Amino acid sequence: MFEAFTDVNHSFFGFLNQGPLTLTIFLHTIIILPMFWIYFSEKKRLENEQ
Amino acid sequence: MAKKNVSVWTSVPFWRRSAAWVTGFATILLIWLSFDTLGQISMGTDADLKNGVDKRVPGPTVINYHIDYKMSKKRGHEVPVIGEKQLFFGKEWSEKDAAALLRLGKLTEQAKNCMDCHTLLGNGAYYAPDLTKAWLDPAWQKGGPMQGMTGKNTVEEAMAEFLQHPSQYPTHARMMPNLGITAQEAKGLVAFLKHMSSIDTNGFPRNFSKTVDQFKAGGTNAH
Repeated sequence: MFEAFTDVNHSFFGFLNQGPLTLTIFLHTIIILPMFWIYFSEKKRLENEQ
Repeated sequence: MAKKNVSVWTSVPFWRRSAAWVTGFATILLIWLSFDTLGQISMGTDADLKNGVDKRVPGPTVINYHIDYKMSKKRGHEVPVIGEKQLFFGKEWSEKDAAALLRLGKLTEQAKNCMDCHTLLGNGAYYAPDLTKAWLDPAWQKGGPMQGMTGKNTVEEAMAEFLQHPSQYPTHARMMPNLGITAQEAKGLVAFLKHMSSIDTNGFPRNFSKTVDQFKAGGTNAH
């Protein structure tokens, strides 16, 4: 899963982009995870509102 | 109080918050990526070259070194290899002079609009050969037909001669027009090309060595 960094200059995005789709998967994960929290907090708010 | 059935998917504030999160995160990410890229593409210095610091874009004094292009198994593509010192137009260029020469080359490249026909670092046309790694093209090396045709002994002199009088050296490929390039401008352009070939482009243009091998086997190197 973790491989030696092979790019010229070290960079965070370069590290994430070492394998196929790794950058895409990582970005989608960190974007979508907080949306679960948004969903449930919004659900709670709607339930308490009524 | 019993909890009622609620529909989050039809709630406007839910979509508003989601959109705000995604847009806000993407904005910050793009700004971060821009600064990350700036660091990656910043030009190195003479000291970097002397201390063997790897930079994607080496300093202007890279024109004082021999540049090779080798397959890197680790990275899965070819990478420029900066080797031993090598005189450029018969002398070693100081940091200031090399930078001035590169600047002249860049301005000439823009003024003569090389990209009208050629491609440089992925920008331009494919009417004429890709110039990104032109310096490494075997046709210009010792024993190559381009160097032989101009009657010069070094890559830089052969290229400079060709750039000044392209109509005197016709090839089987499309002929380059005479753009009225002066001797000094030609020197600048060759320095610009040599520097460009030393830039680590993650293996672009793809399969350069393949065309080199075809060329050595008697095939054509024209793209």
